[in-house]
Amino acid sequence: MIAAIEDLYDQVTAWIFHAWVQPVMYELGLMAWADDAFDWVGFFLFGVVQVLVVALVCLPLERWRPVERWDSQRVVWTDVTYTLLARLGLLPLLGFVVFSGAAVAIEGAIADSGFVPPTLETLIPGLREWPLLALALYIVILDFGEYWRHRFQHQFRWWWALHSIHHAQTQMTFWTDDRNHVLDDVLAAAWIGVIAVAIGVPPAQFPLILLVLRLAESLSHANVRMDFGRVGERLVVSPRFHRLHHGVLSVGQSGKNYGVLLPVWDWIFGTADFKRDHYPRTGDPGAPPAYVTGGWLRQQGQGLREVWRALRPPRQG
Amino acid sequence: MRHLFLAFLLLGAAFLPARADTIFVLNSGDASISVIDAVAREEIRRIPVLREVHHLVVTPDGRELVVGDSGGNELLFLDPVGGEVLRRLRISNPYHLEFSPDGRHFVVASLRRNQVDIYDAATLELQQRLRHPGMPSHIAFSPDSRWAYVTLQGRGQVAAIEMASMTTAWVQDVGPEPAGIIWHRGRLLVGLMGRDDFVALDPETRAVTTAFRVGRGAHNVFPSPDGRFLYATSRVESRIAEIDAETLEVRRIFEVPGGPDCIAFDPDGRIYATLRWIGRVLILDPATGDHAQIRVGRSPHGIFVMPRRPGVGADFALRMPGAASGPRPMELALAEQADAPTRVNAAPGR
Repeated sequence: MIAAIEDLYDQVTAWIFHAWVQPVMYELGLMAWADDAFDWVGFFLFGVVQVLVVALVCLPLERWRPVERWDSQRVVWTDVTYTLLARLGLLPLLGFVVFSGAAVAIEGAIADSGFVPPTLETLIPGLREWPLLALALYIVILDFGEYWRHRFQHQFRWWWALHSIHHAQTQMTFWTDDRNHVLDDVLAAAWIGVIAVAIGVPPAQFPLILLVLRLAESLSHANVRMDFGRVGERLVVSPRFHRLHHGVLSVGQSGKNYGVLLPVWDWIFGTADFKRDHYPRTGDPGAPPAYVTGGWLRQQGQGLREVWRALRPPRQG
Repeated sequence: MRHLFLAFLLLGAAFLPARADTIFVLNSGDASISVIDAVAREEIRRIPVLREVHHLVVTPDGRELVVGDSGGNELLFLDPVGGEVLRRLRISNPYHLEFSPDGRHFVVASLRRNQVDIYDAATLELQQRLRHPGMPSHIAFSPDSRWAYVTLQGRGQVAAIEMASMTTAWVQDVGPEPAGIIWHRGRLLVGLMGRDDFVALDPETRAVTTAFRVGRGAHNVFPSPDGRFLYATSRVESRIAEIDAETLEVRRIFEVPGGPDCIAFDPDGRIYATLRWIGRVLILDPATGDHAQIRVGRSPHGIFVMPRRPGVGADFALRMPGAASGPRPMELALAEQADAPTRVNAAPGR
């Protein structure tokens, strides 16, 4: 069954690439990037599958037990835009085009220093024969890194000025997961990149597992009254757990529940709140109006202004 | 005398029951190596690798396969008979790799880091790193091992590296997006992915002329074991062309799906080609036109045939007349042209 699904996925990827993408690349003189383009087509298709699966799971849940009901869902469509741009590979593609030259230079410089970046499997040889265990370990390490990145997003004024876009949504749904400023996404990529140099990039050959992880992250933002029980709440971030993080009293440095996938880090570092009956209103009362009601482009522009304002020294007087 | 013995063995193999040659396929898209039984025509196991394997070569002594895991910064050394991983070596981004014909050097092209690395083949110590902006892609040597030629995919050039001084002697424009490159009868044949043709580059005069046309996205070319034909791939047109090695005339076109990339041959001259975009390997008998496909992993790239016949080793291709051409052109094979066997099967029907 899984093999059949993978086969179908590969065939569709091949057809899109062979019939549409590769001929265009040939005409544009971009065949040197054919392999990368093929990967991108796979990324795009995987993104479509991700969005569909997440929507199929989360939409019924949000209809079944919503935390809030709204007369208008206009601001939710902004989050849909964010999701499509991020998940269908358009922003990653733009990032690749802009930063690939820099990546080559940086990797070349690292290579010239004589340092060959390790991978987790080179540090722990036994993991070679257990790729799934290796993947699990990568997920734990990366999630730990994400916990701290998230803490810093709330800690530093200039970073919060960007991250506030994510928190400003007063109608949080599963679409809110990808609501981030592009500059914030770049910082996230750089953050992961540093970890990747330290432990190697996690393998991407487990699309089903990545799909489950993606589903968990989207579900944590869903407008649904749902917790995972006394034990489950401590194992995986639930909609209840993450909603508390998005509550109006949890903005900036007063945040709780920073965990992205695993609540264990909040548990360890004392930032957890496991009150299971609490579903606060979401939003950032201090956010500029554009962050709350603006469209994607307006929020991006406003985000740059806000980060500039946060970086400037305070005026004397 | 040794060559006659080899010829005798290969001819004898034709009268033995079919043996299961082993095919190694590098799945660049899902971090694995597929091991295929050529008789059953099915994958019998998968060897996990770290990240992203693209190309492989056999060591000069024929005892090991060297697999480059570019994403994992690692070389894997496999036993070509059993497929066991014998050892690993951490090196920087090994994409395309080749030993010099004299067995002294091991050269690695690193497409993503714009570098060409020269290693001592015996110790695998890095001797020289050459910076080459423009995505160094594929390597070919001259038969005397004095020169290594590298295609610079992003710049439409071929760089000539003098192995004695380990410096780049010259760089020549050849056409858009050059990929595969082989030595063939005193010239270099280069596939231009940005066009429909292979060009011939004369390393003495540096003259560049169109050699033959295969279709849009010309990619790579491989000599048949008997040395009579070249088989060239085109990615956009998705075909394999059979070229007369003497005249460079295109004799036949095989339309195949999935963007054929790398080709390997069994001792009978059967073609095994990776079909990059559909995750399959093509088996094609040019003598009969029979063909089949085998499902492997995602984005299969490098491929190697390990013959399972008496007296035929992993380095059989380097002992055949066809090895006078290729990325590692063997002078030995050139000398053997007169008395080495041609393919065991009958010549391809027309």
